[in-house]
Parts: sequence; C-alpha cells; structure tokens
Amino acid sequence: MPLIEFQDFSFKYYGADFLALKKVNLTISEGEYVVITGPSGCGKTTLCRTINGLVPQFHRGYIAGNVLVDGKNTRDHTVAEMATIAGLVFQQPENQLVTLNVEKEIAFGPENLGVDPVEVRHRVEELISLLDLEHLRDKHPHEMSGGEQQRVAIASILALKPKIMVADEPTSNLDPKNAELILDIIAGLNKRDMTVILVEHRLDLVSKDASRIVLMNDGRIVADGTPRNILVKDLCQEIGVGVPKATLVYKSLKNRGIDLGSVPLTGEELATLVKEAS
Amino acid sequence: MSFLEVFQYTRQDSIIHRLDPRAKLFMAIVSAIVSLIFLEILPLLIILIILIPLLVAAKSLRRWLRSMKGLSILLVFILVFNTLLSPAPNPLNHSIALTLRLIALMTSFSLFFLTVHPDELSQALIQMRVRFEFAFAMSMAMRYVPTLAQEAYAIMDAQKARGVELDKGNPLKRIRNIVPIIVPLIIVSIRRALSIAESMESRGFGASPHRTYMNRLSFKKKDWVVVFISLLVLVLTIYIRLYIPLYVWSLPF
Repeated sequence: MPLIEFQDFSFKYYGADFLALKKVNLTISEGEYVVITGPSGCGKTTLCRTINGLVPQFHRGYIAGNVLVDGKNTRDHTVAEMATIAGLVFQQPENQLVTLNVEKEIAFGPENLGVDPVEVRHRVEELISLLDLEHLRDKHPHEMSGGEQQRVAIASILALKPKIMVADEPTSNLDPKNAELILDIIAGLNKRDMTVILVEHRLDLVSKDASRIVLMNDGRIVADGTPRNILVKDLCQEIGVGVPKATLVYKSLKNRGIDLGSVPLTGEELATLVKEAS
Repeated sequence: MSFLEVFQYTRQDSIIHRLDPRAKLFMAIVSAIVSLIFLEILPLLIILIILIPLLVAAKSLRRWLRSMKGLSILLVFILVFNTLLSPAPNPLNHSIALTLRLIALMTSFSLFFLTVHPDELSQALIQMRVRFEFAFAMSMAMRYVPTLAQEAYAIMDAQKARGVELDKGNPLKRIRNIVPIIVPLIIVSIRRALSIAESMESRGFGASPHRTYMNRLSFKKKDWVVVFISLLVLVLTIYIRLYIPLYVWSLPF
C-alpha cells in the first residue's frame, strides 16, 4: 500500500483567483526520497502542506479529490493527528522555534501530544546526540546561526517520531556549507528508513541521494521519475530548474555526438565517465 | 533605561537561582508588603540591609548597583520635589523614606526577576493553575522580542536607504516619522505570526487536553524554609505595626 496517495487533488486558497494545485495524482511509497522542484509559485509549498493536513485543515479553501496519508484522509483528520505521521520542516528556521531553549523546543511537540515526561526526556537526549546539538542545549534561538536553528527545527519535528519527513526548502536561507549539512542530515534520515519529501532548488546537492524527482509547474506535476531520467529532459531547462552542471555537460556532449553512456549527476561521476570514455 | 536591568534574568548558578520560583515569588511579595507597611527611615533601612545579602547570594550585587546608578536621577528627583512640595511636618525625612521605599520595592522584585528564568516563570504559572496558552503566550513574547527588534532595525535601514529622514525635524515630525517603520513592521509581524502558527499547528499545539511537561517544578525543603521564614516575617511585621508603638526616630526637619 502506498504511504501517500494524491487522487485527482485540486486546491484553491480562499481569496486566490487561481488553483494552487490542479488535479494532482501522485503516489509515494515507504522509504522513498522524493525531491520536488519547480519554479516559484508552482504549488510545491501547497503540496507539502497537503501531506500533513495543513491544507485543508489550517489553510481553508476549495478542494476536489482526496489525499490519503498512511491510509488517513486529510479531510477528516486534524493536523495534530497527522503530526505523528508526517512532520513538516519549513523555510524560515526562526519561525519554527517558539520556545526559549533547545531542550524545550524539542520537547514541545511530544508534550503537546501528552507523551509521558520520561519518554519526552529520552527523545530529547536522543535527538540532541543524533543531531549534535549538545553545545546549543541552553541557547536562546536568537543566539544561534540559521543552520543551527534549522537543525533544531528538524530535531523538534523528529521528536514526534513521524514516518514521513516533509521539508519545504529547508536550505533556502542558509549558506552553502550549512545547506549541505542540513541536506546530509535529511539524506541520513532516509537511509534510516524514513520516507523523505524534499522541496529543493539546489539539485546538484540532492539528486545523487534522491530516489525520485517530481517536477512541478503551474500547479501540475509535469514530470516524475528517477533523477537520471528527469534531469536530461529539455523540459527542465524550459521551466528553469537548476539542473546539475555535470548533467548539463553530459547533455551538451551528447548534442555534439559524444555519448558518455550513462547520465552523471555529480562532478565525480562525470570525471569517471570521461576517463572511461577516453 | 539601564535601571530596568535589575528586572532581567541573568544566567548564574547560585542558591537563590536554584530556589523554586513560587517560593521566590512569595518572598518578593512579602518583602514588598513589608516595605509598603512602613514609612519610617529605620525599618526601611533594615529591610534593605536584609535584602542586600540576598542579592550578594544571588551573585547580582554589581548589576543591582549599576541599575541603582541608572535610577539615581529619578531618586534625586523624588527627593527634591517631595522635600519642596510635601505637606508633611518634616518633609526631608518623609522624602528620604519614600526614596528608600522605592529602592526596597524595586529590590524585592528584582530579586525575583533576576533569578527566575522565563521558562521557569511560565512553568510556575502553569503549576499555579494558569492556563498553558496564557503562560506560553508570555514566554513566546520573550522569545520574539529580539527577533522583532532586529526586524525593526532592518526596516529602519531600508526606509533610510529610500531617503526617509528618521531623526530630523521637530518632535511632531519625528513622531510622524514612526509611521513608515510601524506599518511595515505590523504587516511583517502578521505574516510571521501566520507562519509560526503553521509550525506550532504541525507540532500539535493545543491538541491534547492532557499536555505533559518534561520538567515539572517541585517544592523542596529549602523552598518550604523560604516560604516559612517569609510568612513569619510577614506576620511579625503586621503585629508590630498594629500593636507595638515604635519609637519614631526621624530627622528633625
């Protein structure tokens, strides 16, 4: 059974004059690492909100079709009920940190759901060591850098032990080094059997780990498949997706009659392919 | 505004810091009541003499002294104007007592606010049957003050870059200059609030009627001792005030 299933789902926010999602059909199974990408305003964020029930429970609007997450229809379940199934990490880290120190932040979710205090303490300690937050333990969110804040935000979502991690451009406000760190953490979670759905523009950093890329444009899914199949399409450049440089080189070589055999996603892969070819 | 520093939490490890906030709140209220009961110089001095060692125990004497220096203008002001305008029989005596009372009151509450972390404060409120939502709103206000301040500076810079002259003109003009800062700040804050709400909602805020707390406060022996002593002091001072005529020592003018 698929973990997430969009069935002809359309959505329009109240007060908006266009559909944010148009007849989206998408199935995601357990353990996948799905990268969603596409130009701004194409509906990526709405798609993320749909998975944990913020759409339609928090953001009201006109709906058609259904979304089933872990067998639950998001129309009938509150966001809190979905919280232990799908955790959502947002773009701005500082808006996700609502308490005065890291321990409290991580404990916030489980406390809200009435988890036993001993268990909450256990989860907090586990996540502090997992995400290397020991030195931040007593810090005010304002005293942390963006990357540190985002790490704490991820920890606070993981404290709810969700099956699915949805991250909506978690690196857009971070410098490249911190962005890489966050993306490594997310890739690591996927290796530990968590289903990951990531909205990201920096495809050169994520496509090597992703099992699938979903390309969106204008509220629709326009392409869906493995990174190597999707990124070589001309469509990517037409709608302005950040295709990895290595893949671009492969394409230009191919256009001039040199076929490298398989599609490289990183510089190293390209280098090995070129070495083999020459 | 440096005198407000005495009401700001300082991260320290001291006996006073380790006390339960509820015990400290009781102590602060008692010492405030006691300083309001008396308007004679001597008893007020005694209160201060008792409070200052507590400040030392909280490792915050220097901070307190700094704030009192900041407050000194106001204190002199109270002293001078009360002496000149008070209808009391010996005005200087009266105004010195008033000044001492203000210092004693501020010190009582600063002992509380200096040593209670906002988190502990909200936890104490919750355990005193204040609803979680209200206590949490308070701690969230603390959380977002620096963020909003930063945002206000960013807006000010942006407006200055567009040629808004914020610190020029007469007082009326300056007040009107706040408008181009305040309007964007409000709009940005509302947007931020929405995104914060989204994040809190995703983590089940308010979902369970039986919310749990990782760190609960618990009254220990020393907290009971503090409460007991405070109560004793309170009863004693009220008794003295009501039934024992004090030898009134005062300045002759």
